[in-house]
Amino acid sequence: MTTNLPLAWRDEDVRGFGMAVGGPARVLRPTTADEIAAAFTAARASGTALALRGAGCSYGDASTSVHGSVLDLTRMNRVLAFDPATGVATVEPGVTVRDLWRLAIAHGFWPRVVSGTMAVTMGGAAAMNIHGKNNFALGSFGECVRSFEMLTPRGELVRCSREQEPELFHAAIGGFGMLGCFTKFEIETKRVHSGRLRVWGIVAKDLEHNLQILEDMRGQADYLVAWLDLHGKGAGLGRGLMHRADQMKPGEDPEGLRFLDPCLQDVPPTLLGVVPKGWLWPGMWGAVHLRQVGLVNWLKFKAGAGEQRNSPYLQSHGAFHFLLDYVPRWHWMTKPGGLIQFQPFVPQREGARVLRTLIEKCQAAGHVPYLGVLKRHRPDPFLMTHAVDGYSLAMDFAVRASKSGRDSLWRLCRELAEIVLEAGGRFYYAKDAVLLASSFGRVHGEPTVAAFRAQKQRWDPDRLLQTDLSRRLGV
Amino acid sequence: MPQRSGTCIVVGSSSGIGLAIARRLAQSGRKVAMLARRQAELTAQVATSNDVLGKTQAFAYVHDAADLDTVEPLFARIEQDLGPVDEVHFVAGVMPDVALDEFDLAKDRLQVQVNMLGCIAWGNAAARRFLARKAGCFVGVSSVAQDRGRIGRPVYNASKAGMDTYLEALRNRLWRHGVQVTTIRPGFVETPMTAGLKLKGAISADTAAAKILQARDRQKAIAYVPGKWRLIMFVIRCTPSFLFRRLSI
Repeated sequence: MTTNLPLAWRDEDVRGFGMAVGGPARVLRPTTADEIAAAFTAARASGTALALRGAGCSYGDASTSVHGSVLDLTRMNRVLAFDPATGVATVEPGVTVRDLWRLAIAHGFWPRVVSGTMAVTMGGAAAMNIHGKNNFALGSFGECVRSFEMLTPRGELVRCSREQEPELFHAAIGGFGMLGCFTKFEIETKRVHSGRLRVWGIVAKDLEHNLQILEDMRGQADYLVAWLDLHGKGAGLGRGLMHRADQMKPGEDPEGLRFLDPCLQDVPPTLLGVVPKGWLWPGMWGAVHLRQVGLVNWLKFKAGAGEQRNSPYLQSHGAFHFLLDYVPRWHWMTKPGGLIQFQPFVPQREGARVLRTLIEKCQAAGHVPYLGVLKRHRPDPFLMTHAVDGYSLAMDFAVRASKSGRDSLWRLCRELAEIVLEAGGRFYYAKDAVLLASSFGRVHGEPTVAAFRAQKQRWDPDRLLQTDLSRRLGV
Repeated sequence: MPQRSGTCIVVGSSSGIGLAIARRLAQSGRKVAMLARRQAELTAQVATSNDVLGKTQAFAYVHDAADLDTVEPLFARIEQDLGPVDEVHFVAGVMPDVALDEFDLAKDRLQVQVNMLGCIAWGNAAARRFLARKAGCFVGVSSVAQDRGRIGRPVYNASKAGMDTYLEALRNRLWRHGVQVTTIRPGFVETPMTAGLKLKGAISADTAAAKILQARDRQKAIAYVPGKWRLIMFVIRCTPSFLFRRLSI
């Protein structure tokens, strides 16, 4: 197989972002659609399955294939065009959110949907149909994709949009890399009238207060996201700090003009201007391993009052959005076990009850997430959508190195998943690591799963595209 | 420092340092004629600036700095459209990739045409007017690259050195008549021109613009941006040729 390709396969340790799942795999990094096609042809000839992978930011096994073969698209990363009048970018799949926002902001645009880290690739963002802190207002990433080109495992290059091949368009976005490899995107960005946002920090005393703020503000705010201290018990259960951000109107922030310089958007590399943030993770590692996360969270919660007093304040788009990039390699704090994220999406009417139950169960089981992030969502038109008219609560669990610790965490998450599914909730494959094949139909509904399998049969009848996730779910 | 309120011209302002200067000038309330070669990029940037400011401060004039004969009529047109100009920033520049064994006259000619002759054309057009009015300010963005001839980009060095020497002569001519000429020698700045180069410790285009406008306000003759480059380039200038030619910087 190697002989057919000018590129070489390399043996690497391919893991999810959380490091808790994944393992050795052969990796190829194509740089053109032709090289992807050659890899597909060779894989078909030898009966090898391929997993598609972007920047590897999915927490779980969505882009891994232990002892398998992985196509890593990060080197197919050219920006092909950017229209400075409309903000529409034509990009290859390995272009990252960072590449896109740097280009867009220099022209007074910002990507309509960005994740909490800017490392994510366009291909990965579309395959997982990622969302941001404005999901309740502007929807998911797929909604800002105008069109894409996809290379199917059979070697066909298909152009898809809402008008052209609409069925494939809506199935491939959110289709976790099962139907083909994106080779090109047309992505819409939005006009911003300043390089800064107006941001409020609001202390929420418990879960209900957080949910109430989300409901009260979602008609007016552009972005809403709550950090939750999941160590809070009793009256403080689900307490946290809500962040609201609004875009500026023309003329409202003239000083914001110079913040269109991409360098002024980047997350600051040092703490208080001195300490390189790359040095912080060992301290955080100590907090996790000495079981002091509760204390750190309590301090952070208390500091929220100060932020609320100083609100609103002005903050660059980059500094507001990319919280996960503030501390480089922060996830190393969970080594050696790594971390998993469990992010249930719960319908609005069941939100308060279900989320409260989940938090209580975590606390009772002794697996308290070190981080909780609450967001508001709205449904989107994609086949394998994870969005609901309701809430999601992302819970980050440090995985214990011992097998028993790991097993009990997986048991807990499956128990939580059962509660969520009973309430009509959903899951998001960029985050998931625990769902069983039996849950796949319950997440999406059997007819939807059947429709997706039909698409898979049509575009990838040889089942060339497989990941650890797809095998776990029995796609 | 003299308070100026007339129109500003920024040559080369669709991206990088020129754009950052134009934005800061527009934000400070000045009328800014933004000049650049790429029409789509320029009109979009002008529209963006005006949109953020909520009023029309920036005006687009498509201009190729290599097109020397159009400078004089364009200067006149801008004054006619926007009123008397009392501040000109020449920031246009090209820096094509040149291989170490490449001696390509087309690339060389373009660099001399834009970097050096373009600056001379705008300097002359401004000087003629500023001298008559006994007021005005011309800022030319040269480069630390002008301080020495180096193996990487011979004609970039030469074109910037030619520009730099011209600016010095212009300053000496005009200074006695109350006209300011400031030479800026930027070091590493993160701009589209330097995208793809690995520049350690590069500053943002906005920071560079802030320092350039500060040098203007302090009526500096020559300003290194940022200031540490004065020291770095002093050392490089002091390096004797028998040693310098053996280095690959």
